[in-house]
Amino acid sequence: MDHAAGPAATPPPAEIFRPRPARRAPPSTLGVQGWIRQNMFSSVPNALVTVIGIWIVYAFFDALFGWAIGNAVWQAESRRECLDEVGRAGACWPGVIAWIPNLIYGLYPKDQVWRINLAGLVLLLWAVPLWLPRVQSKVQIGLSLVLLFPLFASYLFLGGEKGIVWSALIALGLAAFLWTLLTAATETVFGLGIARFAVAALGFASRSDETRRRLAIAVLLAVYVVAVILVQALSLPFVPTRVWGGLFLTLVISGIGIAFSLPAGIVLALGRRSRMPLISLLSTTFIELFRSVPLITILFMFNTMLPLFLPVGVEVNQLLRAIVAVCLFSAAYMAEVVRGGLQAIPRGQYEAASAMGLGFWQATGLVIMPQALKIMIPTIVGNFIGLFKDTTLVSIVGLFDLLSMSRAVGEDTRWLGLFLEPFFFVTMIYFVVCFGMSQYSLNLEQRLSAGERR
Amino acid sequence: MALLESTAPSSAGTRLLAFVNNATVRAVFYQALTLSCVVLLFWYLISNTIENMSQRGMSAGFDFLGVSAGFGIGFTLIPYREGDTYLRVFMVGIANTMLVAVVAIVISTVLGLIVGLARLSNNWVIRNVARWYIEILRNTPLLLQIIAWYFGVFTLLPRPRESLGWLDAVFLNNRGLYLPAPLVGSGFAVALVALLLGIAGAVAWARYARREREQAGRIRPVLGPVLALLVVPPVLAALAVGSPLAWDMPQLRGFNFVGGINIPPSFCALIIALSIYTSCFIGENVRSGIQSVSRGQTEAARALGVPPGRTMRSIILPQALRVIIPPLISQYLNVTKNSSLAIAIGFPDLVSVWMHTSLNQSGRAIPIVAMTMGFYCVVSLAVSLAMNRYNRSILIKER
Amino acid sequence: MQMPNIRKTAALLAFAAATMGLSIEASAQATLAQVKARGSLNCQVGLPTPGFYALASDGTWSGMDVDMCRGVAAAIFDDPKKVQYQSVTSAVRFTSLANGESDMLSRTTTWTAVRDTQLGLEFAGVNFYDGQGFVVPKSSNIKSAKELNGATVCVLTGTTTELNLADYFRANNMTFKPVTNENVNVLVETYLGGGCDAYTNDKSGLAARRSAFPKPDEHIILPETISKEPLGPVVRHGDNNWGDIVRWVLFGMIEAEELGVSSANVTEMLKSSNPNIKRLLGVEGNVGEGMGLPKDFMVRVLKHVGNYAEVYERHVGAKTPVNIPRDGSLNALWTKGGILYPMPFR
Repeated sequence: MDHAAGPAATPPPAEIFRPRPARRAPPSTLGVQGWIRQNMFSSVPNALVTVIGIWIVYAFFDALFGWAIGNAVWQAESRRECLDEVGRAGACWPGVIAWIPNLIYGLYPKDQVWRINLAGLVLLLWAVPLWLPRVQSKVQIGLSLVLLFPLFASYLFLGGEKGIVWSALIALGLAAFLWTLLTAATETVFGLGIARFAVAALGFASRSDETRRRLAIAVLLAVYVVAVILVQALSLPFVPTRVWGGLFLTLVISGIGIAFSLPAGIVLALGRRSRMPLISLLSTTFIELFRSVPLITILFMFNTMLPLFLPVGVEVNQLLRAIVAVCLFSAAYMAEVVRGGLQAIPRGQYEAASAMGLGFWQATGLVIMPQALKIMIPTIVGNFIGLFKDTTLVSIVGLFDLLSMSRAVGEDTRWLGLFLEPFFFVTMIYFVVCFGMSQYSLNLEQRLSAGERR
Repeated sequence: MALLESTAPSSAGTRLLAFVNNATVRAVFYQALTLSCVVLLFWYLISNTIENMSQRGMSAGFDFLGVSAGFGIGFTLIPYREGDTYLRVFMVGIANTMLVAVVAIVISTVLGLIVGLARLSNNWVIRNVARWYIEILRNTPLLLQIIAWYFGVFTLLPRPRESLGWLDAVFLNNRGLYLPAPLVGSGFAVALVALLLGIAGAVAWARYARREREQAGRIRPVLGPVLALLVVPPVLAALAVGSPLAWDMPQLRGFNFVGGINIPPSFCALIIALSIYTSCFIGENVRSGIQSVSRGQTEAARALGVPPGRTMRSIILPQALRVIIPPLISQYLNVTKNSSLAIAIGFPDLVSVWMHTSLNQSGRAIPIVAMTMGFYCVVSLAVSLAMNRYNRSILIKER
Repeated sequence: MQMPNIRKTAALLAFAAATMGLSIEASAQATLAQVKARGSLNCQVGLPTPGFYALASDGTWSGMDVDMCRGVAAAIFDDPKKVQYQSVTSAVRFTSLANGESDMLSRTTTWTAVRDTQLGLEFAGVNFYDGQGFVVPKSSNIKSAKELNGATVCVLTGTTTELNLADYFRANNMTFKPVTNENVNVLVETYLGGGCDAYTNDKSGLAARRSAFPKPDEHIILPETISKEPLGPVVRHGDNNWGDIVRWVLFGMIEAEELGVSSANVTEMLKSSNPNIKRLLGVEGNVGEGMGLPKDFMVRVLKHVGNYAEVYERHVGAKTPVNIPRDGSLNALWTKGGILYPMPFR
């Protein structure tokens, strides 16, 4: 635009070229100041919005910290003491602290709590190899984790008499765990699974395939035998599910729900898309029915009405009823997620698969599902988060989950009326877990889509 | 299987295999199997239920619906007195649930749109406030949020005697929001007719403007005339015939404000919590919808000299809507279902007043749970049907 | 993953689920036989409530209603610990009993005609006479419930309290606005925050709640008692013998107080010459055997749990935070001006 400034039409009498004063340099966009100016105060409305935004955030956190930390009482014998000290201006944490074991483990016998911790540790160790870059058998480890960990964990949690079959199953779980640890170790160090590594280490590497396979099976059997012996040695007292509670119960319910909902959801989604009209109709009915009512009504129905549906004398414990309700509900939701993923796979993939001579199950399992599942990961994790949050509802049917436990604090004679503090504590736990999951899912989404960015 | 078939020597065996492998035969077999399983299961459950109920002397009848309920309900959209029947309680519950759902849907949509756009803002503070708003609120259970808002609303608001008042007509305290209630006056019918005529006129004008734009390319003003058509006729009619509406003003008398409309804090808390929680999900839908529209569209619009506001309104949003609407509708369904959490703060919605209080007082578990689930089923299925039809119409067509 | 594997794992999982969760029992037995076979009493209490079924941070239950459960367990097993406490919300209490999940219900449940006749329930007696009252802030200058016209009242939902409240206001031609919740602490917080003018509940609970207010002196309990709340243990309709057991354990505990038999002196009392005590403790007569219990079932109850007075003082008496004075109240013995009147043990 500079050239338009000088009047070019009338040739001016020989005038000396006078440069116009330089424009002021544009505000710096570099450095902290520049960044702030560009991102926060680029215009008047923008600046106003910035100031208001900062003020709201400040006011909120100021009030929150004042109550939760600034004015809070950390040491007291009863709520009366807290009230006498600060009234209602500050939080009364000692009550929550006294109840923390119950908030986490429920009414689980305190001398048996190590069993829950042990199961947690096993779960962690079992899952860690999934993140180790050099481990190859991740699929097997993941599957064994989902399918066999519950067998082992349920014995740790429940304890009690174990018959032959039950022992064998627990041993299977334990064996899978041992196998996972050994395989992860040998694969990280030598790049070989435990069975093949053992065969090689024993000097049979040069034998025929058949012999080596038999030996590998023998190694696996040996692991199983070790597990059986360990399980025989382990004898735990029975802990009824009624005393399960707190965060532990919340995790059990949501864990089982999550583990169950994905396979069940896949089956339902396939059923809904099936060409067999009856199967499609039944799947659709199931999905729509369970999706159309609030979880709270399903829980209620299972809780109050399941005993009526079963023959006289058959008792299904309350926890199992809630778990069944949560599983069916989440399966219906997962089915719709999976259906969405399947819809996104171009029809050409199906046609190509059947042109290759793959049957329905092969095409689905080997071609379609892997692609669909990859697309769906963020939504699936979103559903898991939803499920975890929804477990707060089991408190309404009287299970002592995290939320009901927090209510019990305020009914303890010593801490009578303590309501907001445990409530705040529980909210924080939920937030941390859900936020962790959602950040992980974002991370996963980015890593998965990395290959597709061009 | 295919391998077996080709090598099988006996022709009878081949035929049998061919029969077994026939897709139609298999389909029929599987379906018959599933059907018989389902029928057996249902027969088993129902026969057990009948036996159990007869043994325990429980009744499944709906006869209790005509019995007087006898408890008070704090907030009712339709008239209700303590002596009314259980059926009436059911109606009250439905009306309250629908009210919550509708209000929360409207607010959450608006909020969600704002949050979704804020998430894409150039302003760092706004972008991040929006981001953390979504992250924090999406990752805490709604049940906890509802309770938190209930107490939040409470501690912020003054007690009735120190109410915040506005023009002596609107009052706000921790018992709720008090608004003047319209009372139908003499000229109400005339004003109503005028209003209806105004609406009809507005719709006609909007259609005309659209046809002009699409066929002749002439842009007619829409917003101004439509507003005018909606407001002017009823006001004129009202002025002509005298006051059609009298106002019932809330007044502080005794413990509470009397008269007018009272919106209790539990309702406010529920609406706030539901709207805010849902707005996070809607916001993310909006964001991903807008981001799904290719950047080239924005650039092309700018190259053509379309102003930014108009680009958003006329170019980006219509394309983004295709992505936004299906999940949006399922969010709407979620709002309806989530309103059942009102029980935690004692707002008398269907679940609270029917499946909780009435069930407790009458003890009729089966009919009450069935009626509650039936209501949610009907609402959801109706919306679901519409949604699936819409989904089919916007699917990208292959071949 | 190959098909056979899937099927195998599915079968294993199904089996595991079956062994894990389902406990299948012999069907349609009398409740006493079921309890004996199970080895423990399934006793339903409510969500933790001070004085009646309180849950301590070490996970133990205690309270008047809990002692009722312990008494019945002691009568059957000679061991008060053989109780599995089922703490469920009031919304599902009757269905849980009716569907066979609980053997008995001991959770401040009011005996009403509809519950007794239409819900398949059987009330075994009354272990506490309660009545509904109001708490109001002192600053409101309210002296009587009759002055509550137009008030907003906080009330626990799903209980008789809600019905009584409506009845009381209707009977006195007054109006009110209920603020309901199923969580007492939420209601109390609402009341303290000024969300309602009065908080109503059974008087047994009001004093305890008031003691936990930030400033208890600033609130008063109004003198009126607006309802009759006979609270007692409940069993399923139809098993009369089981109902008798619960009823006579309760009567036995009250009778023991009347006769001066307590946990401290029960062994000496076995030698007592008083025929009433002899019959109560099973030295004479066979009250217990008629119900399928040993003769000396009351000795077990008294030894492990104590008589009614001991239970009362232990959980709700003047030395506890709940602090419900007994003298001169309905819950005193009939000989001391109350209406606790055990039927004769003969």
